[in-house]
Amino acid sequence: MIFVTGPLFAGKEEYICGALGWSPEEFRKQAVRDVQELPLTGDLEELADSLCRCAVVVATEVGGGVVPVDPEERERRERAGRLSCLLARRAETVIRVQCGLPQLLKGKLPGPGPELPQEGEGL
Amino acid sequence: MFTLVIGGSASGKSEFAEQLTQSLDGPRLYIATMEPFGEEAQARIARHRTARRERGFETIENYVNLSSLEIPEGANALLEDLGNLAANELFRPDGDIRTVVPGIEHLLALCRHLTVVTNEVFSGGKDYEGETLRYLRELAQINRALAAKADRVVEVVCGLPNLLKGEAL
Repeated sequence: MIFVTGPLFAGKEEYICGALGWSPEEFRKQAVRDVQELPLTGDLEELADSLCRCAVVVATEVGGGVVPVDPEERERRERAGRLSCLLARRAETVIRVQCGLPQLLKGKLPGPGPELPQEGEGL
Repeated sequence: MFTLVIGGSASGKSEFAEQLTQSLDGPRLYIATMEPFGEEAQARIARHRTARRERGFETIENYVNLSSLEIPEGANALLEDLGNLAANELFRPDGDIRTVVPGIEHLLALCRHLTVVTNEVFSGGKDYEGETLRYLRELAQINRALAAKADRVVEVVCGLPNLLKGEAL
C-alpha cells in the first residue's frame, strides 16, 4: 500500500495519479481518500488493516494548527493523527505531498524510473 | 548533543523522541511539562507514562522556570513538550516566557544528550485572538532559537522522521 499524506489542497491525488499513470476512474477503484474524515470512534488498528486492502490511501494532515478548545474536535484530530501513524507503519511507501511536490518518507517513489539493464544484457 | 523534535498533534513525535533517547546508553530522564488539568490530561499523561515505564525513564515534573530544576549530570534527558511549557510560562502567574531558552541552556550544560519535543501548531492560519496569537509568536521564536542551537532537528510526520538539520540517526 502507498500512503500519501500532506496538507489540504496540496495536490496529493493529482500527484499519485500522475506517478502511477492512473485516470480518475482508476483512482476511485483502487484508492481511498480523506480517511481523516471516516468515523474514527472504533478500533483504529482494525480500520488501518482494512484500509490496507486499497493500493493507495490518502489522508489530509489535520494536526498542524492550534489545538482546538472543543474536546470532541481535539479527540477527533488526535485519532486522525494516530490513524496516519498506523497507516504509515503498514505502508510499503509513504509520500508527503506539499505544493504538488512529493517528499519520500519511506520506501521508494513510484513511477517510471531509469531503465535498469535486464539480467543477461551486457553493458 | 541536542536534538529538537517537532511535529503536529498525534504525529508520532513523542514515540520517536522516546525511542531516540532509549537508544542511548546511560540514565534516562523524562522532564514532563504538562500540568494534569482534568480527565483528558490525566488520561493522556497515563498513556504516555505507560509507554515510557518499560523504557527505564525516571520522570520529573517541571511546569515553570527550568533554570532552577536540579537534575543529575550526564543523563540522557527528554523534555516534553515546549508547547505546554510555553503556555505555562505565558499564562501562569508565576510564569515568565523569557526563562524558556535559558532554561534549556541550563539543561544542555548538565545533560549528555538532550532531546526536546516541540509542537507544530502554526499551520492553521492566523485568525486567532490576541493571547493565542501571542502564544504562537512566542513558541515560534523559542523553536527558532532552539533549532539554531540544536545539533539535529527532526520533523516527525505520521511517525516518520524528516530531517531538517544535522545528521540522520
